[in-house]
Amino acid sequence: MTTLDSPKTTAAAATATLTLDGATVEFTLGETLYEVCQREQRHVPTLCYDERLDAFGACRLCVVEVEGVRNPVASCTTKAAAGMVVRSNPARIDKFRRTLLEMVASENRETEVDAERGHASQELSGLIERYDARRDRFRGKQSGKSKLDDSNPFILRDYDLCISCYRCVRVCAEQEGDYAISIKGRGFHTQITVEFDGDLRESACTFCGQCVQTCPTGALADKKALEAKELPGEIELTRTVCPYCGVGCSIDLMTKGDKVIGSRPAMDGPANRGALCVKGQFGFDFIQHPERLQHPLVRGDDGELRRATWDEALDRAAKGFVEAKKNHGRKSVYAIASGRAPHEAAYATQKFVRVGFLSNHVDNCSRS
Amino acid sequence: MSNPLVDMQKPDVIFCIGTNMTECHPVAATGLKKAIAHGAKMIVADPRRIGLVKMAELYLPIRVGSDVALLLAMAHVIDRDGLVDETFVHERTRDFEAFRAHLRDFTPAWAAKICEVPAADIERAARLYGQAERGAIYYTLGITEHICGVDNVQSLCNLALMTGNIGREGTGINPMRGQNNIQGAGDCGAIPNNFPGFQSVLVEEHQRKFKEAWGVEVDRELGMTKIAALDHCGKSIRAMLIDGENTVVSDPDRDHCDHALRALDHLVVIDIFRTETAELADVVLPATSWGETDGVCTNTERRVQRLRAAVPPMGESKPDWWIIAEIAKRMGLAGFEWQSAKDVFNELCSISPIYAGLDWDRIDKGEYHWPVPTPDHPGTPRLHEDGFVNGRGVFKVLSYRDPAETIDEEYPVWLTTGRRLSIYHTNTQTGRAAGLPWLQSEEELEVHPDDVVAWGLEDGAFVHLTSRRGSVRIKVKATERSPRGTVFCSFSFNATPVNVLTGSGYDPLTETAELKVCAVRIEGVARVEAGS
Amino acid sequence: METGGTRPGEGTSITTHDEAVAAADKDIIEAHANEPAPLLPLLHAFHDRDGFLSEAALRAVASGLRLPLADLYGTVTFYDHFARFPPGKAAARVCDGPICMLRGSSAILDALRKDGATPMPCAGRCDDPCPVLIGDQVLVGSSADALEERPSKLPVPNPGGYEECLFAAVRDPARKTLEGYLATGGMQGLARAVEVGAASVIDVIKDSSLAGRGGAGFPTGVKMQAVRDAVCEHLPTTRYGARKYVVCNADEGEPGCFKDRVLMDHDPFALIEGMAIAALATGATTGFIYLRYEYPQTQNVLEEAIAACVARHYLGSDVLGSGKSFHLYVRRGAGAYICGEETSLLNSLEGKHPFPRNKPPFPTTHGFDSMPTLVNNVETLCALPRILVQGAAWYRDLGLGKHAGTKIISLSGDVQEPGNYEVPFGLPLRTLIEDWAGGVPQGRKVQAVTMAGLSGGFLAGEALDVTLDEASIRAHGSFLGAGGIMVFDDSRDMVEVARQAMAFFAHESCGKCFPCRIGTQRLQERLEGSAGPTNHDDFLAELGDISEVMMSTSACGLGVAAPLVVTSLIKYFPDAVAAHVARTRNR
Repeated sequence: MTTLDSPKTTAAAATATLTLDGATVEFTLGETLYEVCQREQRHVPTLCYDERLDAFGACRLCVVEVEGVRNPVASCTTKAAAGMVVRSNPARIDKFRRTLLEMVASENRETEVDAERGHASQELSGLIERYDARRDRFRGKQSGKSKLDDSNPFILRDYDLCISCYRCVRVCAEQEGDYAISIKGRGFHTQITVEFDGDLRESACTFCGQCVQTCPTGALADKKALEAKELPGEIELTRTVCPYCGVGCSIDLMTKGDKVIGSRPAMDGPANRGALCVKGQFGFDFIQHPERLQHPLVRGDDGELRRATWDEALDRAAKGFVEAKKNHGRKSVYAIASGRAPHEAAYATQKFVRVGFLSNHVDNCSRS
Repeated sequence: MSNPLVDMQKPDVIFCIGTNMTECHPVAATGLKKAIAHGAKMIVADPRRIGLVKMAELYLPIRVGSDVALLLAMAHVIDRDGLVDETFVHERTRDFEAFRAHLRDFTPAWAAKICEVPAADIERAARLYGQAERGAIYYTLGITEHICGVDNVQSLCNLALMTGNIGREGTGINPMRGQNNIQGAGDCGAIPNNFPGFQSVLVEEHQRKFKEAWGVEVDRELGMTKIAALDHCGKSIRAMLIDGENTVVSDPDRDHCDHALRALDHLVVIDIFRTETAELADVVLPATSWGETDGVCTNTERRVQRLRAAVPPMGESKPDWWIIAEIAKRMGLAGFEWQSAKDVFNELCSISPIYAGLDWDRIDKGEYHWPVPTPDHPGTPRLHEDGFVNGRGVFKVLSYRDPAETIDEEYPVWLTTGRRLSIYHTNTQTGRAAGLPWLQSEEELEVHPDDVVAWGLEDGAFVHLTSRRGSVRIKVKATERSPRGTVFCSFSFNATPVNVLTGSGYDPLTETAELKVCAVRIEGVARVEAGS
Repeated sequence: METGGTRPGEGTSITTHDEAVAAADKDIIEAHANEPAPLLPLLHAFHDRDGFLSEAALRAVASGLRLPLADLYGTVTFYDHFARFPPGKAAARVCDGPICMLRGSSAILDALRKDGATPMPCAGRCDDPCPVLIGDQVLVGSSADALEERPSKLPVPNPGGYEECLFAAVRDPARKTLEGYLATGGMQGLARAVEVGAASVIDVIKDSSLAGRGGAGFPTGVKMQAVRDAVCEHLPTTRYGARKYVVCNADEGEPGCFKDRVLMDHDPFALIEGMAIAALATGATTGFIYLRYEYPQTQNVLEEAIAACVARHYLGSDVLGSGKSFHLYVRRGAGAYICGEETSLLNSLEGKHPFPRNKPPFPTTHGFDSMPTLVNNVETLCALPRILVQGAAWYRDLGLGKHAGTKIISLSGDVQEPGNYEVPFGLPLRTLIEDWAGGVPQGRKVQAVTMAGLSGGFLAGEALDVTLDEASIRAHGSFLGAGGIMVFDDSRDMVEVARQAMAFFAHESCGKCFPCRIGTQRLQERLEGSAGPTNHDDFLAELGDISEVMMSTSACGLGVAAPLVVTSLIKYFPDAVAAHVARTRNR
């Protein structure tokens, strides 16, 4: 199980050595060859691997040569063993990888997709480019059938682009624990779907978006972010923490220029390791909602709230507190801090009360 | 939480009580799902057939507000069946013998009547938890939002102490905090009894420290709780500052709350939207939103993390700290000369022992759980590993009490409230996120299908839901998630202001509202209109 | 009041969470939920009752066994014989295996199509074509109006006069009852095993050189030893407790293979005795026979035989007074060739999606329910009783020259006398075809044979001079495998045979690993001429590259072996391939 690391790593595990591309390399017992290659900075391509999930061994791109073993082995499912002699990138293996990528490219409508589709959506096109794989070789039938009539506003089900790596199935089961995704049929006719081929809304799907973010081709895609695909500029990511419940999931907020276009789970987020729920994944756009308060308001003589300058509003706010203190004493002023604003807000609020009115009349919303 | 979130994958027995985790803390729930997938067994005690029930080894559909009875009976069985961790009790706790003597009468048969679950299931739950190698308790507001909230929590502590399920990996008593920075608000001292860092205002050493730090004579008395303050509005309380809380919708007994705020001479509200509460204010100040604000927050496992601005603020909005500091400065107060969020946070670190080892730059990657007493300290993901702060864990002798309000002929149905997966709190944010309202656009009253029939209601039709404090109109949804005789809805929709019904009582110690139970009656709209 | 999670097999009654589950459905679920490996029997129960698996039935099963509905839905759609809609099970399935295609199965299918008939892959009656499966009845015949129920054809007496191990008594009709079995020397091997104990049994089996007859050829005694030595590490996820298993792979799905059916139909007690011996040797207490869907009559034979053995304490909680228990269950597959792969089979038994598992760990340590499990083919297990009675040396000496033991060959196609032959290892292939089976029809010559059913590809020309043993056949780039050999005379279109073979592999590819999932499809398209280069060199380059990557990187034997059909076609029939490419060009 490769998920959240224990914050306190316990006793050092036993180690051994193997030979990787001619060099002696130390590894920890239990590590896979893929993990060893990663650590030793070998480029070993994969399409079905997600480090949070159990290794699956489907795409076979990560095969490496092990001396004494007739066929190449999938490095993701092969445990490193003492004395192994491993070659990560011999010419023969590179050729296999290229052929495999050409085969994969042949089953899809397209391989270049908008980066808005999802966190991992560029993986296939990246590898095709890297291996200079021919997209038009191995022509034939295409696999997967898109379900574009699913009216959900979050997840695009563009299965024409599916390569049956099962990352979505596995992330939904192993990581999210919802088991909402079905593998229908078999072989080339395998179709990713949900029970009885219905809409996601009728399934066990909770719209957490995990499947979208692990999809290496953009077959499952973020509909909300895709709305911004025509906006000019590059996608930028800003690491922050989800504004909803107390779990504190790390989020990479996606922006183009000054516009927030989406939200992505941080794969290395310490509290969530790439997990989010529907709120964190799709609930970001209140930020730039037109109903946001954009200027101060004060209550006018007519009893209605009206627009004011900061100076006017702040003076008015200060004056009210000063008067209350003057007329009714320091304990006539109360403050409620937010459980949703940052520390600085809460700290400022309580200091305002304790310094300004010499009282402890401050609380937060945890009691409601 | 006594234990970090990673520990959620590690118990062999999980006891969830009063927590609808798959909806309210979905990402935390994934940890439990992993534990279960790897063989852990889960006990779920909840009046409603919530999402967790599907994964449970044992489900106890207890009557709302009967938690203490269940927990006493479980303790009874654990003691009776010799499942007490005597070594732990001997070495790490005190007052166990009194507790043990107290337990004798609280048999499963006694609790079964109160909780309305079979005694055999209570026995089974007790043995499952009692025999656990690593037993972990998770709870949320279903435990605390009762008049006996403190008793509920202490009952859970008693269970953990008597079985030694605390201070180790995969164990503990773990409340899940409901809001993203509710833990942080406490850390920062926005509570009436503590200075920042949970330093009691009653302790002289703390008073001295803050006097020195802030250059003023700090108050030596406890402040009022929010609940008390709302009761005193227009009387001793005349002016109020509310930062980012939609008090009118989220608090119990909405009418009372509304009247209270209207009775103030001066109300200043800082928020990102023009909320129902802002509508009552004299001054409304626009704050920068999440995504526009640099800052810090603390999650439910005490992990201190950075919030970062991704876009410029909308309109003229300003960070909350800046707004408050400006008001303070205009009142002539000193000590509010911060130039940045970093300045504010670093000041907090300088006077809070649990943050003493931290500063703005050190929390960049979010790897610290407080307490972090010194800069070379690795943080404290797991509390009580080497002992309890106060020396020994203390058993509390306590008894079951009925909720403040129980059902009767006039109000024959239990109402309990909570949250829904796609909606957060009063829906000010989620309601403005494209798509989320598609999942749920209005509030529904969840009623057991048999009750729908028995009470002459109709699935999808509107009813009047009435308590001693008020009445709302709400649509019925027939679902087996609700048990017979208990109905559920959330407080998230202003159009269905469910909190006009709640607020029957408060925990005497914490003054936390009993939001989870009240007695109601349900009448079909047509019938009422015909009769009126 | 429902108390949640009772797991099946723990001895308490199952609780369901969905009140909507109909009472009748609940009865079916309760009837099966407490058995070990309950999913397949449960699905069959609904499939038998309704003729298909309705949405309500799947919801009931998911709820009753606490399986995620999405998982269950996907798993059900994996199996070829589970219908989701009417006419479902009632509709005829007509074999379109390579031999049946030569014997008029297309015409049968066309005749029955109006009633919803569909083709099915080779159903294991190549010695008596063409099988048509209707409900739980297998009819055979050469035309739609001449279909009848016929028993499995018995092997002819050994034409070479060699002593047999497996078929020595199979022709004796007495073997079908336990009394008759006992009267003809049955259960003496088990008695011997009880007497000498596990270690000695394993020594004898090792000494006999018996190896897996399902195709992989792993030494049986060594595998037994591994299961015996494996520690039952009780994991929290273990459902049925710490125990070991013996699983008989009777999912005889390889086209051209029909030997296991004959053994089970005519000598069922030999298999049961073999499994009991294996259980005793390994310490297993539970066994399963995983039987392919297409052998419904065989299931009845086995279940009756098991019941007879339980009644007489050859099975059950005290096997022959040894104090050891061994409980045996039959589990019927549902139409998936890949379930003949042992780890797919185990996943299928466990109710999981039947993808092959990654190995290691191997079933000997992490098999059924993650417990140590001996998985062997029917033929292998059936050999155990006589080896124990007659001794290791006797068995070894049954082979010719340096070769040890015997192998059943399922011989079919263009020969006068198709059927099962128990041959000594080392027998020349031509002897089998020409002397034993009467050769190809008058005036014809052998053009090619397949090996290992279809998995070994073709042998032709001088390669037909091989002897029947792995060393000889592997020297020609093929393998004997499970022992299916199909003969094609010189009138046959070998490109078309290869196309059919590849269509079979594509149909049966599980879809887990990329090279097999895409490769079988692309090779099929190229052999049928529907896609791919029309230039000869490019055509060969594509076929070569796909075949090479499949053989080198596929995750299990299916994908590794499937391209042999193509590479051997190109090797032995280059002109036919060239003509095929030319035809595509003119298309």
